[in-house]
Amino acid sequence: MLTKLFPRPGRDIGFPLVGVAMLLALLVGGGTLYQTILGGGAPERLVTVMLIDAIIVIGIQIYIGNTGVLSFGHIGFGAVAGYVFATIAITPAEKLKRIPDAPFGLVDVDASPYVAIAAAVVVALIGAFILGIGLARSGAESGAVAATVITLALLFVTHEVARNWPDLTGGDRAGLAFEIGGKLDDRLPIIVTLAIALILARLYATSRSGRLAIAAREDNLAARAMGVNPLVQQMVALLLSVGVVAVGSSLRVWHAGSILPNQFFFDYALLTLVMLIVGGRNSVTGAVVGVIVMTAGREFARRMGQDGFEFFGIGLDEAPLDWVFRENLQTVFLGVSMLAFMIWRPVGILDDWELDSWLRRRFSSGDEPKPEPLPELDDYAHQTLEARDIHMQFGGFTALTDARIDATTGQIVGIIGPNGAGKTTFVNVLTGVITPTGGSFSIDGKDLTGIASYRLARHGLVRTFQNLRLFGSLTVRENVEVAALVANDHRTERTRRDTDSLIAEAGLWEHRDRRARELDYGNSRRLELARAAAMAPSFLLLDEPTSGMSDSESLEMVEQVRHMAATIGAGVIVIDHDLGFITGISDVIFAFDTGRVIATGTPEQVQADPLVRAAYLGGSAPA
Amino acid sequence: MTELAQNLIDGLGRGSIYALLALGVAVIFGVMHLLNFAHGEMITVSGYASLWALNAGWSWWLVAPLILVVSVVTSLVIERVAFSRVRGASDFTLLLTSFGVHFVVSAVFLLYVSASVKNFSRPSWISSSTWAIGSLRIETFDTVVILVTIVTLVATTLLLQRTMFGLALRAAAADFDTARLMGVKSDSVIRGAFALSGLLAGIAGVFWLMRAGSTTPSAGIDPMLKAVLAALIGGLGSLRGAVIGGFVLGIAEVLLRSWLPDSIAGLTEGVVFALIAVLFIFRPGGIITVATAERV
Repeated sequence: MLTKLFPRPGRDIGFPLVGVAMLLALLVGGGTLYQTILGGGAPERLVTVMLIDAIIVIGIQIYIGNTGVLSFGHIGFGAVAGYVFATIAITPAEKLKRIPDAPFGLVDVDASPYVAIAAAVVVALIGAFILGIGLARSGAESGAVAATVITLALLFVTHEVARNWPDLTGGDRAGLAFEIGGKLDDRLPIIVTLAIALILARLYATSRSGRLAIAAREDNLAARAMGVNPLVQQMVALLLSVGVVAVGSSLRVWHAGSILPNQFFFDYALLTLVMLIVGGRNSVTGAVVGVIVMTAGREFARRMGQDGFEFFGIGLDEAPLDWVFRENLQTVFLGVSMLAFMIWRPVGILDDWELDSWLRRRFSSGDEPKPEPLPELDDYAHQTLEARDIHMQFGGFTALTDARIDATTGQIVGIIGPNGAGKTTFVNVLTGVITPTGGSFSIDGKDLTGIASYRLARHGLVRTFQNLRLFGSLTVRENVEVAALVANDHRTERTRRDTDSLIAEAGLWEHRDRRARELDYGNSRRLELARAAAMAPSFLLLDEPTSGMSDSESLEMVEQVRHMAATIGAGVIVIDHDLGFITGISDVIFAFDTGRVIATGTPEQVQADPLVRAAYLGGSAPA
Repeated sequence: MTELAQNLIDGLGRGSIYALLALGVAVIFGVMHLLNFAHGEMITVSGYASLWALNAGWSWWLVAPLILVVSVVTSLVIERVAFSRVRGASDFTLLLTSFGVHFVVSAVFLLYVSASVKNFSRPSWISSSTWAIGSLRIETFDTVVILVTIVTLVATTLLLQRTMFGLALRAAAADFDTARLMGVKSDSVIRGAFALSGLLAGIAGVFWLMRAGSTTPSAGIDPMLKAVLAALIGGLGSLRGAVIGGFVLGIAEVLLRSWLPDSIAGLTEGVVFALIAVLFIFRPGGIITVATAERV
């Protein structure tokens, strides 16, 4: 019986909904309390603006939080949505006055605000899809920094267009305004949208796509090695996130009753980012807390900056403090908050603490029975891996000439060789890091040479890393589940084992709810093995699994690898410099030297081979 | 043909300024992996310094060196106050730190000067003086900008190629950790990089401010954006690429401005950004792609 991965009604739906209800109550209830105590129009306006900001910040959180890519572009999409909304929702009479030459026959369009919001979302999503392709390509090549600059450029493009296309936008100064009475003064649509935004954000983070995106955020390379294509998940997150931002931005324009290019530009991008960062970008609860804290702080700073500010009856607007309590103090407050959090607490107030996860840990039944030991598989489809004539040339240097291996499932194949023998190059070929200049390798005749690493994993060749790559802030269980989620879609032809059982087999049951980065070295290695096993691979490629281990730990590792491979019915290809480890674990050994296979056979045969002895011990090979 | 040549010369003038700014961004990116969104702040601060000096009756001959000094000092102060505290942090933290620096600097001027545009007098020869080769009319200003840029780039190249500091900086840019293990002092290299970056921004800033004749609290955004985009077009991490990117961006802007119909000439920058996005879809690593294969 496999543990169900997704969705589990309690974990993935019930608790998130309860958490969302509490967050919504916090925002709306707190806001209502504040405006009732203070009374008057200004506090009421402040609360409404806070609720709208919350929608937009939560929208941005869906992307930034789950993918870890910093984006300024969301406010650019906000501008697009805001203008689409305004040009549709404003009455024809008003449009005739302000933008009589509007393109696309917009002047005559007379539609309800809700139709306008729908149109705004559609246009923003189309834009997001196009941008998403560019982000994916540049992000894959030049890293997240390039993606961030592209989103920044988008913010400037939308701003430039808004300023310089007066026929559509009313230009830089006049802008677009609703006629009196067109403003949004009912708070219900805002609260409903906020509730939906919160639900989407939480459900996405626990969904399949969300969890794969978070895995890629934690370690892009490891996620790809587990068969995750981060670009797809980032696109999903981007579209969802832009959709929420588009609705929020439409409401913002509706509530303000007007739109000017500067309303969706740098300053607003800063405000929303500071809210997200201060609260904790990796958590929806954090985003909400950030919105509340920064709204309150900014309002307080604004009041302090006003003339005649008093604090408990003491006038602070006089010397010696008048150099602090000046107008525009709130802008300094925002900038300093951003800087201070980046320097002292870049993860924000809450880091990735999530209200509903906490509730679940607190209130769900604590006792989980330890899974029964898994029997080793004795009935599975046999597959073979063949690498033939692999040739790799770097400029004038030939790293591999006619390298080869054969492996079948159920077998452990070791690769040894002295330094410079070409082991690492060979691993890089097998893992798709480099494409060989000649030769090919295949599983059951399916050619896998040079394909992307996530496809390689889906075809059954799953690797581990020499320098340990776990999804650090995910728990042990979540680490294994990521691999199992991918296996459920792409490895259906092989027997997939229960994730909880695999964790128990790896001896990590007591640690199942600990974060991966808190584990010691040995447990981290075991987790990496369990995670790879959850992919239900046909072949496990272990890259120096004992590096950094003591002799006794290496011996334990031999048992671990043997047992795990037998449990999932996989073949193992293991590369290590530790001769004792390799001979202890392997059924067959391929000995490499100077880029070619110099000997192959059982450990005893290879150890006795004169060529191997010469390569390892030096001296000339016997003629 | 004449028009094209004319545009190319105008574009070189504009591109020179971008190249100097982009080179400063690339130098910092090399040693800290920081894409500096605060790179325009040197120009903001210099702008207010110029405003003060010119109002006090200084001539531009004195203001220009003042700008260089202010720019270098600003760069070093920003490094000391903010960036030195986030060394080695994630890309995300680094980017937002520089973004935060930009906002603190502009907020300070907002608080103590005002949000409005402050004008100062531009040198008289800047827009009127031209000379001609055949039918080409070349602004004296552009000529000066191009010549100074060439001298600066040659000097910078010599600095990077022929001095110990240059060697340390290039080594740090290639592989910071290894450079440290080889005895390169990270503190002095990083400070040196910020000083160099500030000096380059200062030279660009002199021309930028001469031409603008005004400053605002957010005056740094525009030069920062151009610098960052130019560095990105050229290929992040490549110093040569940054300079090329700057010239490409400048020439592209001038050419587009003359080619686009008048009705949408205001959208030149928007079109340039869109073209950059397209460039990135087809050549995601920029013009000069720097291999950053991660060791696994």
